[in-house]
Amino acid sequence: MRHARFIARTVFVQNNDVEAACRVLNRILGKEGILDQFRRTRFYEKPFQFRRRINFEKCKAIYNEDMDRKIQFVLRKNRADPYPGCQ
Amino acid sequence: MLSTRILTGFRRLCILDSNKLDVGVRSISTTTVANREVDSRKEMLRSLPAPDEGTAGERAIDIDGRMQKDSLFPDEDTPNRLFHGTPFKELPIFNIRVSPNNTILSLTDYKGVPKLIRSCGVEGFKHTKKGTNIAAQATAITIGTKAMERGIKTVRVSVRGLGPGRMSAIKGLQMSGLNIVSITDSTRVSWNPPRPRKAKKL
Repeated sequence: MRHARFIARTVFVQNNDVEAACRVLNRILGKEGILDQFRRTRFYEKPFQFRRRINFEKCKAIYNEDMDRKIQFVLRKNRADPYPGCQ
Repeated sequence: MLSTRILTGFRRLCILDSNKLDVGVRSISTTTVANREVDSRKEMLRSLPAPDEGTAGERAIDIDGRMQKDSLFPDEDTPNRLFHGTPFKELPIFNIRVSPNNTILSLTDYKGVPKLIRSCGVEGFKHTKKGTNIAAQATAITIGTKAMERGIKTVRVSVRGLGPGRMSAIKGLQMSGLNIVSITDSTRVSWNPPRPRKAKKL
């Protein structure tokens, strides 16, 4: 899919701080998985590698989901003001 | 008294257990694995630091509180926003093509007509030296000053590809005195690409 140039994947430079703008851009690209996909498609990924990667990602997602649930359970609150002093 | 009795009982149990276990148990040692010498090329490469791809902050998890979110990203008025009297859509463009082995910078006007072009190879860096951040920065400073001589002061930057020159080329452009308005990533990424080349053997 094509997007409008200089609208998509664009970050403005604030206060002449180019590095900060680059970091924001890189972080967004990294989080969206665009850089990962770019790196992955430099060379052909053999079917066994594809299978292994997908299985690993599945396991990781299941683990992360359970871990998130556990953390939420540990952090659960039952107070009138759940975060005192954070108004 | 009681504690010593318990302890002796426990010891006896342990001995019994070890006698029982002795039959089919092999000792597992993890130290040899950890101290193994780097023998294969693959392992050696794994132990090396990751190559610089100019993607600093890619994995960072931090909060950018100081930045004004509303003016950080473009919106529908952006093409007509004025920068030193020129609308954003008519600003000259610096295209930076980064690869692991070279960095090519070219200046075009807003229509895409090329005005200046320079690469690390032209700059005088040869072979592996082309693919370094220092080469990219030097090249960017040279082409940036040339652009300044032509009277171009405000530009937008478009970066394509990953490599050591990604960040340093932009930094070099700024060091040459150009006013960089925006940074765009135009790396070509596809989710159903044609079959790429065979993976390198390591």
